Formats: sequence, C-alpha cells, structure tokens
Amino acid sequence: METFAQVVLDGLLSGMVYALVAAGLCLIWGVMDVINFAHGEYLMIAMYVSYWLGFLANIDPVVSVIAAGVFIFIIGALTYLLIIRYTVGKPPLAALLATFGLAMFLKNLCLNRFSPNFLILSDTWLGGKTFQLGGLIFPAPQLAAAALALIVVGLVYLLINSTRFGWAVQATAMDREAAELMGIDTERIYILIFGIGGACVGIAGGIMPSYLAVHPEVGSLFGLIAFVCVAMGGFGSIPGAFLAGLLVGVAEALAGFYIAPVFKYIAVFGLYLAVVFLRPKGIFGW
Amino acid sequence: MSRGSRSFVRWFILAAALCLLVSPLTGAGPALAAEKIIKIGTIFPLTGPVATAGQRCQAAVQTAVEIINNKHPEIKVPLANKEGLLDGYKIVLVHADSQGKPDVGKAEAERLLNQEKVWALIGAYNSSVSKPASFVAERMKRIFMCGSSSSAALTQRDMKYFFRLAPTDATESVDFVEVLKWLNKTKKAGIKTLGVIYENSEFGKHAAEEAKKAAAAGGFKVVADVPFSPGATNLNSEVQTLKGSNPDAVFGAVLGADYSLWVKTMKQAKWLPKIVINYCSGYQDPVIAKQLGPDAEYFMGSSGYSPQFASLMPAVAPVEKIFKSKTGGVPFDGNSIQEAVAMLVLAQAIEKARSLDPDKVAKTLMENTWDSPLSLGGKVKFVKGGQNVQAKSIITQLQNGQYKRIYPEKMADAKIVFPMKPWDKR
Amino acid sequence: MMNTKVIDLKDALWLLLLAVLALLPLVPFVSGSFFGMHVLILVLLFASMAQAWNIIGGYCGQVSFGHSVFFGIGAYGAGMAVVTYGGLPWGGILAGMVLAAVVAVIISYPCFKLTGHYFAIATFAIVEIFNRAFLVWEWVGGALGLDYPVIEEGLANLMWYETKEGYYYCALGLFVIVFGIVRWLESHRFGYYMRAVREGQETAESLGVNSTAVKLGAMAISAALAALCGSFFVQYNLRVDPPMVMSLDMSMKFVLVTILGGSGTLAGPLLGAAVLIPLQEYTRAFWGGLGGGVDLMIFGVLIIVIVIKEPAGIIGILAGIGKSLARRGGTAQGGA
Repeated sequence: METFAQVVLDGLLSGMVYALVAAGLCLIWGVMDVINFAHGEYLMIAMYVSYWLGFLANIDPVVSVIAAGVFIFIIGALTYLLIIRYTVGKPPLAALLATFGLAMFLKNLCLNRFSPNFLILSDTWLGGKTFQLGGLIFPAPQLAAAALALIVVGLVYLLINSTRFGWAVQATAMDREAAELMGIDTERIYILIFGIGGACVGIAGGIMPSYLAVHPEVGSLFGLIAFVCVAMGGFGSIPGAFLAGLLVGVAEALAGFYIAPVFKYIAVFGLYLAVVFLRPKGIFGW
Repeated sequence: MSRGSRSFVRWFILAAALCLLVSPLTGAGPALAAEKIIKIGTIFPLTGPVATAGQRCQAAVQTAVEIINNKHPEIKVPLANKEGLLDGYKIVLVHADSQGKPDVGKAEAERLLNQEKVWALIGAYNSSVSKPASFVAERMKRIFMCGSSSSAALTQRDMKYFFRLAPTDATESVDFVEVLKWLNKTKKAGIKTLGVIYENSEFGKHAAEEAKKAAAAGGFKVVADVPFSPGATNLNSEVQTLKGSNPDAVFGAVLGADYSLWVKTMKQAKWLPKIVINYCSGYQDPVIAKQLGPDAEYFMGSSGYSPQFASLMPAVAPVEKIFKSKTGGVPFDGNSIQEAVAMLVLAQAIEKARSLDPDKVAKTLMENTWDSPLSLGGKVKFVKGGQNVQAKSIITQLQNGQYKRIYPEKMADAKIVFPMKPWDKR
Repeated sequence: MMNTKVIDLKDALWLLLLAVLALLPLVPFVSGSFFGMHVLILVLLFASMAQAWNIIGGYCGQVSFGHSVFFGIGAYGAGMAVVTYGGLPWGGILAGMVLAAVVAVIISYPCFKLTGHYFAIATFAIVEIFNRAFLVWEWVGGALGLDYPVIEEGLANLMWYETKEGYYYCALGLFVIVFGIVRWLESHRFGYYMRAVREGQETAESLGVNSTAVKLGAMAISAALAALCGSFFVQYNLRVDPPMVMSLDMSMKFVLVTILGGSGTLAGPLLGAAVLIPLQEYTRAFWGGLGGGVDLMIFGVLIIVIVIKEPAGIIGILAGIGKSLARRGGTAQGGA
C-alpha cells in the first residue's frame, strides 16, 4: 500500500511538471490554433539559461526561473514575429513544419554552442533534499516544480478568464476579424500569447536543472508529452491540460511500476488514444 | 515582404536545388596527386543523443594522428618519435557524422570509401552503427578499426578486416560476477540476488543478456530486470521497481543524462543496493562524475582507463595533454582512449607491413602482438573475428571523486567500500 | 482532362523523364560516383514514400504522421523473411504490404472520427506506441534489431554489395509503381472521390460519396505502398531496428518531402525529394564531419524559409517562375 501511494505521488509530481510545460503550449494552441513543435526546445533552452546562471553567477535555479521565464518570453515573441506571423492564413501544416525546422535549428545550435555534454548543477538549494511524511518521500525539487506549476497555471487561468487582456485574448481566439473591428490589436495579442506561452515553459525549464541534466536532446520527449496533454485536455482548455498532465503522470507511474518500465510511455500514448476515441475533442473540449 | 526579395528567395532556392542536383553527377573530383598521404575515415555520432561520446572519440583519433604525423620525443608511444609513416607518409583524417543512426552510418561508410577514397575506417561507437558500417568495409576489403563498440556479436561474425579493441560486454559481465564472488568469499558479503537496469537499446539489451547469462553461471538469482527508454523524463518507476525487489547487487548499463537521473532518483527514493557495478556508461564519464559530486560516490564500474590509472600507464599523460586541448580539458575515458589505440595500432601495422595493401596489413594486424602503452596491460593481440584478447579493464570505485582501482586485487590501489554507504550516512 | 489524344503532353514529359532516369546509370560519369548513385536512389525512394503519403495526405486531405508505422511494418516483413526465416524477401514484402493495409484500416477507423490536430496527435501517439512495442517484442528482434546475413547478391535476394545499379533500378521500379498508381488514381473515379472528401466532407457525403469508405480505402493503398517502400529501405540498409524505421523523424520526412514539394500534385513529391534529399545528404557530407550539427542547422533554417515563403511548395516556386517569365515575355504589366 505504501508503495502504491509512493508510486501515485511520484506520478502526480511529474504530472504537475508535464502540466506546466503543457500550459504554455495549450495557450498558444487555443488562441492561434498552431502546434508549436519547438516547445520542447524552449524547455531545453530555459534549462540552459538556468544552468549557465547557476554555473557562472552561482544563482540558484529557484531564482533563475524568473530569468528563464523572461528569456523564453522573448524567444516566444520572436518566434511569432519572425516565423509564425508568416504562416497565418496558410495551410495549418505550415506553422507545424516551420516550427519543426525551428526545433531542429535550436537543438543543433545548442549542440554547437554548448557541446553535447550533459550538464548538471551541483549543490543547488533543493538538489537531493527530501521531506518525509508518514511513509511517503517527497523530493524537494519536484515538489517545488509542482508548486510552481500550480501557481503559474492558476495565474494564467486568471489572466485569461478575469482580466480585460484575457477577454481580448478570448475574443481574438473566437474570431480574429471581429476582434479587430472591436478595436483589439490582435497582432499584439498574438505576440504576447506566444511570449506568455513561452514564459510558462521557461519557468518549467528554469527549475528543472535542480534535478535533471541539461543537454540538447532533453526537451524532445517533454514536448511530445505536452502535445498529448494539451490534446487530451481539449482544445485550448487550461484546466483540461492541467488535469491531462496529472493523468499522464499517474498513468506513466502506474504502468511503469505495475506492468513494466518500458510500458511507461506506451501507457501515456495509449491513454490519449482511449480518451479521444471516447471524447473526440478531449476531456474539456467542445 | 517586398516583391523583389520574394522573387530573390525563389531564385535562390531554385539555384541551390539545381547546384545540389548537379553535384552528384560531378563525381569524385580529381584524384589526389601523388602526395604521400594515407586517408583514414572516421564515423562517430557527432550529433544526436550520444554526441558527447562521439565527439570525444573523434578527438581521440585526432590526438593519435597528431602523434603519428609529428615528432613527439616526449611521448613514449610507438611512432611518436618520428614524423609520419613508411618514410614520410602522413595520415589525413576525413570525418563523418553517423547521427547515431545505422542507415546514416552505412551511407557515410560508403561515401568515405568510394567518394573520399579513404584507405581504412575507424568507428563507430554505437554497436548498431558499427555493424552495417563494418559490413560495407568488409565487402570492399578495407580495414575497419572499432575502438569502443562493446556488443559481443560484432566479433562473432568471422570478418577478416574487422578489429575491435574494447573488451566485450560478455567478458565484462563475467568480470562483474567474479567481483561478487570475491566479495562473498573475502567479506562474507552474502550477495545472492541481482538486479539489472539498462537502456532498451542495442547496447543496453546486449549487456543485460550477457549479465543474466553470467549471473546464472555464477549462481546468482536475477530478481529485477529493468529496461527503460533512453532519454527518459523521469526514472521513478524504474527505481521503485528496483527498490521493490531489493536486490543485493545491481548491474547498470545506463548512459549519459539517464545515469545522473538514475543516481539522483535512487537518492530521492532513499534506496541503495549493497553494490552497483556499471558497464561503460555514464559512470565512466569524468564530467558527470564530477558534477554529481558526493552522490556519485561508491558506485563501481569497469574501465579501460581513467586518470587515476596514471601510475600503471605512464605514457598516457603527455598524450592526454594533447587530447585535453581538443576537448576543453576533459580527460580520456575508457571509450575514447580505445579509439586512439585503434588508430595507433593500425599505424603500427602499416609500418610493420611496409605496405599499403589492406590484405597485407590485415594479415600483419592479426599475426602480431602490438605494444600499446595506452592500453591497460600494454599489449594488443587480435584473434579470429577481430577481438582484442588482451583487452583488460579494471573494476573501479569512485572514492572522494577519484576512480580507485579495486579489482583485480594485484592492480588495486584502494580497498573497496562495501556495502555502499547509505544516503543518510554520507 | 477531357483530352481526346492518346497521350497528353504531361504524360509524355513523365515518360521522357523515366527514360532519362532509366538510362542515367549507363553514363559512366554518373555510375562512377558511388555516392551520387546513393543520393539518386534515396531521391527515388523518398519520392515514392512521399507519393504514398500524398494519396491520403495530399489528395484526401488527412494529415497523418503515422506513416512510419506502415513503413516499419514493410521493413520488418522483408527483414523477418530473410533474417528470421532465412528465405527470400519477396513473401515478406507481400505479407508486409497486406499487413500494413490491414493495420492501417484498423487504426484509422477510430482515428478518422477525430479532426485537425486531434487526428495529427493521435497518429503521433500511434507511432510512439508501435516504436516502443517493437523495442520490447522479442519475436521481431526487439531492441537488438535484425541484421542481414551475408548471402548471395542479386535480384532473387534483392541485395547487392559491390554495386549500386541493382538498387537503382529497383528504386526506379518502385518509383514507377507508386507514381503509376497515383497517376491512375488521379484520373479514376476514386481519385475524384478523394479530392471531393478533401474539399468538404459534408458536401461529398451529400453527393453520395461514402467518405469513411473513401478515406479508409485511400489509407489502405497509401499504407501498402509505404510498406513497399519500407521493404526496399531495409533491403538497402541490410539492417532494421525500431528507431530506424518507426520514428517520428521518419514520419516527419514523409510529410516534409510532400508538403515542401507541393502536396496534392503528382509532381510535388518528386520535386520535394529532389531538393530535400540531396540537400540533406550533401550538407551532411560537407559539414557533418565538423561535428557541430551545422548541416542540421542549415537544414532546419531551409525548412523554415521554404515553408513561410512558399506554402504551395516547390511546385509553387516553379509555377511562379513560369508566370514571371510569361509576364516578361509579354508586355510589361503593372506590378502585381
């Protein structure tokens, strides 16, 4: 029983991280109907930002999350200005393929600049620390990442649902032209949405070097799982993506422990198929 | 976008496409003039998930070539003391990137041999790439030197032009089991059960199969068999599975970033077996060991080289200096040094055969025992199939950030810390 | 389309191209370059793969990222026939094609209920599931993969060691089969059904087209042809393991080559392959050895540039050039 609880707990904690990574993607997808294939690479770059700040300036990842969030905000906005802007109105695949090219470029740029070495920050505040509650072990870095996920996802949800900016975003998502007629600067909205979506994943990447090695390939699988979470949650639904992230985390942990570790990701992708076959628009989709 | 730049882009793309379409038809280019050079091709995974290892291997071959081509009287390695080979021949390397993919590796092997007209190949780190790439070389009767691919299947193919320096995972597994027996005998360790954790790739799978064979032969019971997908986002369920069956000893074939994640996850789960022994893997990477710091302590693994072997292998130090200048200060590890040895032994064979006929050189390689100050034990000797039977490795343990030699006892410079210190006592 | 001639100009150009391709290896200048032959073979292979994808993705409008699964099934069909059962590859190729079509229908049926990105991500998920399942499935070789034994070369075993001509003509045969089928489909009733489904499922249904049956049929043909390409790929590389064939990377190549060439057109896949494959192979040959991933960076940037500048693909570029030439030939017109 204790093992079962521990497995579920580990699943929930990693699920929170998936949810945080997915939240950014979800925002971009919901507002612009664009699948950003470079999302995992944003995560990887954020990890590099946090790593280098820790390595060169001795700043702990807990603090660097802010810098990483800001940096990826800029990268996200630039992605929109330099690439996505030109794919609006073109076949839906155009943005996907362009960001696939971007992902390839970013991955190899980091390989070129930072070498393919696996970089690990030693002596971080949280690294290796754990709390014990009953028989359960709570690893500190994952706990911090989960707390960040709750905060950030909550803030984004509030931003979209109860601010003027959020209403403008929703109007733009529903009908761009009508929103423009209402005096909304939709171009600005798109830039900001790409930036905020990037900032979410940037914050996730910022905290991760506390427990994960940084290297150019680190983001790929996270990106893929984020796609699955977003689609499972339902088109642009942030609570949906959050719930899906938790489900994915728990499914992965249970399958990994009770079936076999190699079935971890089979369970994740299988769960997605099961969900969309039952609800073709995702859990909260309409 | 203005009209002008738009049509410029169109013309640019079209022109690029045309150039590329035409270039395959322009052939190999003029044959190199009768300069005295020997072209050797290298194939390593320079990009992709194992690029770290691939780039270090490439640097090792470059280091060896620098020693062969130039006069280095301070280095006590054959051929270092004179310039070039065969009265003035110099070696020129042509590098290729396999991306860690078998199909790309095979295509690059063909390109290097046919297009670049290299005389021999060195590579390819991944066993799955070495297989098809060496097959190409064999069919064209060209020598393929394999430094560090460890799959035992490579040298069971009876190839004539294939030579592999590293010990196979089969011999390593037997060594590991010997260590367990030795501990049971001398320390009353009471090791009975074994867990195996490995990445589910050609390398990991093969190592695990050999481990299970060796364990069965040694009378140990494998209670946990844990393959995982490399590049994992977390290893929680893998570690929980290990913890659940609680084996006395664990053999690991875990590479790179997965290795550090594995160690950290075990720490978080507050679990350790009595002993962990690793195949050539993340454990050997000096950068990872340094970054993991105290967490990496007391893990064990086999290694053909590490900086702490200096007293056994005095010739390495000056060579390593050149190597470090190419890697930004990273020293040799057990894999990369084997690639340097591969290059050096090939050059020695060319020199001894006094010929550039691949058949003669392959025959010479097979018939002689080679001095190799960069190898543990100092000798290289190939047998049928191309395996180096003098390949040795020492079981080491990380103590205070240093790879201390533990087994065989006659080479040891430290006492084993057994069982591993639990996480809360560190 | 309403031509009364025996053969129209476009088909004549295709036949001319085939004749040139068939005679190409007779030019010693070409056949003397081993790597050049390798690139030409890959161009023909990827053009065929892209054309197979084009049936469902281009003509029928269902963007599948799951084609590497069918490609892989074909590869394993041939691979297991030779390696596991020690026979000739042909039976395995046939079995692989049939199996791929069956698998395609089974997994597509529920997937076709999904639309847009939900469908695309479902096909991603299927690739990942197959990849990881094959990695642990001992019967198909698991993570170790299948390595071909050294057996006699020639057409019977469908493998050659010393020369590339055999492979080249096989690839050309593959190209002719796949392009021929698509050319036939284009002018056949089924081809019109497919395009009707792409343009609007409801409209097509209202005209009496059973859109589900059309999509499943197109998927089955597409998958069988992808499997055929896969079996050629494994015969060419003489090794197969799951990451080589069943990966998102491979799936992306199907899509990328078609879209960049021009999807939904007969010439698009060939144009896409003729540009992308040499680009990929030659940038790797020139810069790959430097080890900095420069080739892949250039490749990535080029994809971005082509996609955002020319969404209609290279065929769009050619059409644009044709137009601008025609304009220049005629009287100067005001800037459009």
